[in-house]
Amino acid sequence: MSELADAIAELNEDEAKRLVREKIDAGVEPLSIVDECREGMDIVGGRYKNKEYFLSELIVSGEIFKEAMAVVEPLLKGGKQAESLSKMVLGTVKGDIHNIGKDIVGTLLTAAGFEVYDLGIDIAPRIFVDKLVETGAPILGMSGLLTPSFESMKETVKAVEEAGLRDKVKIIVGGGIVTEQVGKYVGADAFTSDGPEGVEICKKFARETK
Amino acid sequence: MIKETMTSKERVEAAIKLEPYDRVPVAPLMDVMFPSRHKGMTVAYGISHWKEGLQAIVDIFDEVGGWDAMILPGYSLALTPKVASGVMASMGTRGYKFPGQDAAVSENSQPQYEERERLTEEDYDEIIKYGWSGFAERNRERYTSFPPEQIIAWAKKQTEHYAREGETWAQKGVPSLCGAIVESPLMFLSTKRSLTSFTMDLHRIPDKVEAVMDALVDDFTMDTIEAARLTGIPGVMLVLERGGCFYYPLKIFERFEFPYMKKMVEAFAAEGLITVMHFDQDWTLNLPYLKELPEKMCIAELDSTTDIFKAKEILKGHMCIMGDVPASLSAIGTPEDMEAYCKKLIDVVGDGGGFILSSGCTIPANAKFENFKTMIDTAKNHLPAS
Repeated sequence: MSELADAIAELNEDEAKRLVREKIDAGVEPLSIVDECREGMDIVGGRYKNKEYFLSELIVSGEIFKEAMAVVEPLLKGGKQAESLSKMVLGTVKGDIHNIGKDIVGTLLTAAGFEVYDLGIDIAPRIFVDKLVETGAPILGMSGLLTPSFESMKETVKAVEEAGLRDKVKIIVGGGIVTEQVGKYVGADAFTSDGPEGVEICKKFARETK
Repeated sequence: MIKETMTSKERVEAAIKLEPYDRVPVAPLMDVMFPSRHKGMTVAYGISHWKEGLQAIVDIFDEVGGWDAMILPGYSLALTPKVASGVMASMGTRGYKFPGQDAAVSENSQPQYEERERLTEEDYDEIIKYGWSGFAERNRERYTSFPPEQIIAWAKKQTEHYAREGETWAQKGVPSLCGAIVESPLMFLSTKRSLTSFTMDLHRIPDKVEAVMDALVDDFTMDTIEAARLTGIPGVMLVLERGGCFYYPLKIFERFEFPYMKKMVEAFAAEGLITVMHFDQDWTLNLPYLKELPEKMCIAELDSTTDIFKAKEILKGHMCIMGDVPASLSAIGTPEDMEAYCKKLIDVVGDGGGFILSSGCTIPANAKFENFKTMIDTAKNHLPAS
């Protein structure tokens, strides 16, 4: 494990910042710095899965990752680009303005190598569909915290079907009260109430839709 | 129907004191949303029309043949007649987007919390220096446009409404469990700083966060005791979500949540107030700590994400458990699903006493009436298997 990956995995914010700056100054390929950061996030995800880490460590590591990317990303422009695992459209469904879960998952997905199109909160079915068409993303992630959001998720799945995209797009729904029953009710391919588990499901979807 | 030998009040008190009851009491966390929709009003209308909203709750109570207790008697606020209490209420309500008042929240949706910073890191120093009341008075204009005398008049009116809601239920023989409501310092700071900023504060400046909590806890506790005294209802709801194992490791809970919870619950118990600990999200790993809280003076109210069966194993003989019909089951399940789940709760968690059947958090606005009625009926018709 690289020093930078270790600093992120250990949530050592100052050390991670110092190492990123040091590597840039030393002329290290920006993409290689991104890879090291992703390695650190991957370790954090593993520790969460093993119940050594909790949501708070995902939040802190996510913030450190975002700080690092804010410095490194401008240097990637025009140079060698990171290869995307898959495109993905993400958003909180119509009638629901909760963003915590969606934002955390969005950071985790980005760190895992997904090209995430985060539409924000209160997203109508048509907006989701338009983005899927525009980007050609084969994965749709919908978030919601309230029971009325189940209907919005269901309507969005229907809109994806009506647009003729259902056999091309894998759909995952997530949120604090999303259960297997909810996943079935809305017609999704998968459900989760756990961010890192959601990322693993999306990785599986990415392999299946390549 | 089970032959009843106790009044609702006796049954609920027996559950809290871990004494035998004739059947498991049932007490949904009921506010105005579901009853408004059931009665053909919008949620927005019910929330903004106090008399009609309260009547909608009473009507649905009568329609299902009643239940045993109101956790909160209605949807007014119980406040002390102080500027700081008004400022806190304003900070809370301004954090929500209400149905019919915001394009994103439909007229039939529940109010939704908007996660953003309402306290800054710089505010920490002022809270440490002046305490909560001093900070609130000094920063009043940031959170409300009303002058002190109007805030106090509003607080008095809210509390009078609250007491009248309690009286409405008392006249029907139904006790209300909570005469006031308060957040733990961690819950307050997390929601007012935002989850991400507060989590980074815990990571970057833990000692300062601890000092802020020390500066908040006594004002929070004393104001809540006073509010409960004014409403005349001998209980308190302690709102807890952000400090449990869903969010934080136990080392955070042990330093920043549990000592303050314990201090508050012990102070409430010393005044004879029962604490309903409203646990949102998963607290399964935190359950063993609850045995350090005053025996038979608390209720662990669970929302279906904490393992309620594990809670029974751990807390049996120490405190009453309440919950935990999942919101999704109320909204999209069938009456058969509901009956099976409630029977399981009654058989396992209700065995030997110390259980109140309830919704996991609030009954959702789009609950199906037949599912709700099944929950109430199952409590009245099913005894624990043993």
